[in-house]
Amino acid sequence: MIVKLKVNGEIRSADVPPETTLLKLLREHLNLTGAKLGCDVGDCGTCTVIVDGNSVNSCLMLAGRASGREVTTIEGLASSEQLHPLQEKFEELGALQCGFCGPGMIISAKALLDKNPEPTVFEVKDALSGNLCRCTGYTKIIEAILDAGRIMGTAEAKS
Amino acid sequence: MATKTKEVLESKVKDSETEDPTAPDNLKVPAKPALKPVVVPIDKPVVYPLDLPESEIRLRTPAVGQRATRPDGRLHGLGQTQYIDDMTFPHMIFAKILRSEHAHAKILSIDTNEAEAMPGVLATLTGDEIPVNSFGPTLQDQPVLANEIVRHAGDGIAAVAALTEQQASDALAKIKVKYKPLPTVFDPLEAIKDDAPKVHAPHSNIYASKTIKKGDVEKALKESDQVFHKQFKTQMVEHVPLEPHSSVAMWDANGRVTIYSSLGRITLGRDDLARTLGKPMSKIRLIGTIVGGNFGGKNEITTEPILAMLSKKTGRPVKGTFTRGDEFISSTTRHPFVMDYTTGVKKDGQILGRKIRLILDGGSYCSWTSTTLGKGGILAAGPYNIANLLVEAHAVYTNKTTTGAMRGFGAPQVCFAYESHMDDMAHALGIDPLEMRLRNAFNEGSVSPTGQLLQSVAIKESLQQAAERFGWKESTK
Repeated sequence: MIVKLKVNGEIRSADVPPETTLLKLLREHLNLTGAKLGCDVGDCGTCTVIVDGNSVNSCLMLAGRASGREVTTIEGLASSEQLHPLQEKFEELGALQCGFCGPGMIISAKALLDKNPEPTVFEVKDALSGNLCRCTGYTKIIEAILDAGRIMGTAEAKS
Repeated sequence: MATKTKEVLESKVKDSETEDPTAPDNLKVPAKPALKPVVVPIDKPVVYPLDLPESEIRLRTPAVGQRATRPDGRLHGLGQTQYIDDMTFPHMIFAKILRSEHAHAKILSIDTNEAEAMPGVLATLTGDEIPVNSFGPTLQDQPVLANEIVRHAGDGIAAVAALTEQQASDALAKIKVKYKPLPTVFDPLEAIKDDAPKVHAPHSNIYASKTIKKGDVEKALKESDQVFHKQFKTQMVEHVPLEPHSSVAMWDANGRVTIYSSLGRITLGRDDLARTLGKPMSKIRLIGTIVGGNFGGKNEITTEPILAMLSKKTGRPVKGTFTRGDEFISSTTRHPFVMDYTTGVKKDGQILGRKIRLILDGGSYCSWTSTTLGKGGILAAGPYNIANLLVEAHAVYTNKTTTGAMRGFGAPQVCFAYESHMDDMAHALGIDPLEMRLRNAFNEGSVSPTGQLLQSVAIKESLQQAAERFGWKESTK
């Protein structure tokens, strides 16, 4: 089946078997390997992407269901000149160790900050409830998201 | 740094936009919009502080106290880090492994004919085809693919390589294995009994032991005002690295094998591969890349020889990535410990003697048990001055998932036991738990249970400072 969707602002299409998940479509057909396969059953969140503004586990969504929709992956956050504030803060505060959960974490955080630029710690924890990290213990991740939120808030206020 | 890069970029953009003023009008080409290169400044130098105290030692160690950023952090955050499963090679195919449903059984036959006839399947593999079908960092007691006996539910039995992962998985269902179930043992305390089913018959289930003796523990227990006894148990823990084990093997026409693997110990892995594949090490290239979480669970080979053999059979690069299920049932886990502590103390809390028996549930194969047994045994008495000590530690086979290396190699298990034991004793003696520890803790020049002279010992100061800072006295009032 042909799946046509918007990925990181570009119209993309691929001919995939019907059982293909959105994750496989991104990784194997569109060569966007930033979203990772960790558990393939929606437990770990390494495959998180944004579909029409909401964070979803792309391993649980069939590619066909994403047809005609707008998908943002980790590859869509930085520009050639600038890191996204989340990427900047994750790097600066050491929120990434092995890094495997990173893209999913950052995407979940982006989905939160896009809707709620000044979240409380509890709101951040809630937004990350579907993302597991085995290295950091989450402290630095939460700190980075709160910091990034502050930067994004200031940037918005200026513009 | 980022600003500087941006400036450089902007100046380049300007240059390319400038028209050549000397060109005749008819040859003037409208300036092209500059194609902006993707710039990921990754050269982030460590900035050392300039205001260091004048001490010479301090000047020699300027990195201490600095916030270090990981050199690979930026690529992680950009999603640009290439883990094994992100790699792809021309004509690459995929392998899946059939795993035992039985905890203990004799394999009577394995029939792969029907699986081989499935669409997309290029090859199958069983243990008989692997040149040396055994591996392990200490004892080589684990088959790469079990061909005679399965010793835990999860033992690999046969592998399939197919054009897609789905085809490989579908073909696994067509492999026919005939088993003769054997008696099983799951509890390590049952497994040490003489009449327990033998996991590696005819050998005893106890496959590694360690004894540490110091002073006269029986005499000390007799002379104690009070003797405490308690058994502590810990459970099996899986590492659950977010990145499942993954490898890609390529066997080239010259008989050289290249393997990309999520393995953490590539030198050891190369050794194991040379052994299992029956090849000189010079023919094996093992490439480790960034590992998506190890925690001790990626310290030995798993599927690498299987993928190499499948690549040999098909002439294609073969990728094998564990499912989360594979990860739980076939990769190693943390040893469950059964720990018996007997400690004799004086009324004032001073420990006179301690007797410890550790039973390590080794699961079905040895893996890193010897290291765990050694470290667990050495650290079992805790950081305390105990003149009379007896530690007996045994590792035992059971028909469970193999236990191996995991963060601390046995240290966390015994720490849970000796510190819980310490609290129980302090409580019974009516002594403040902190005071109980301060009375027994190592000091400068203490000797460890195995005779190591200890230097730079700061345990008492550390405990006191910590207690002061988090308000220990107030919290226990």
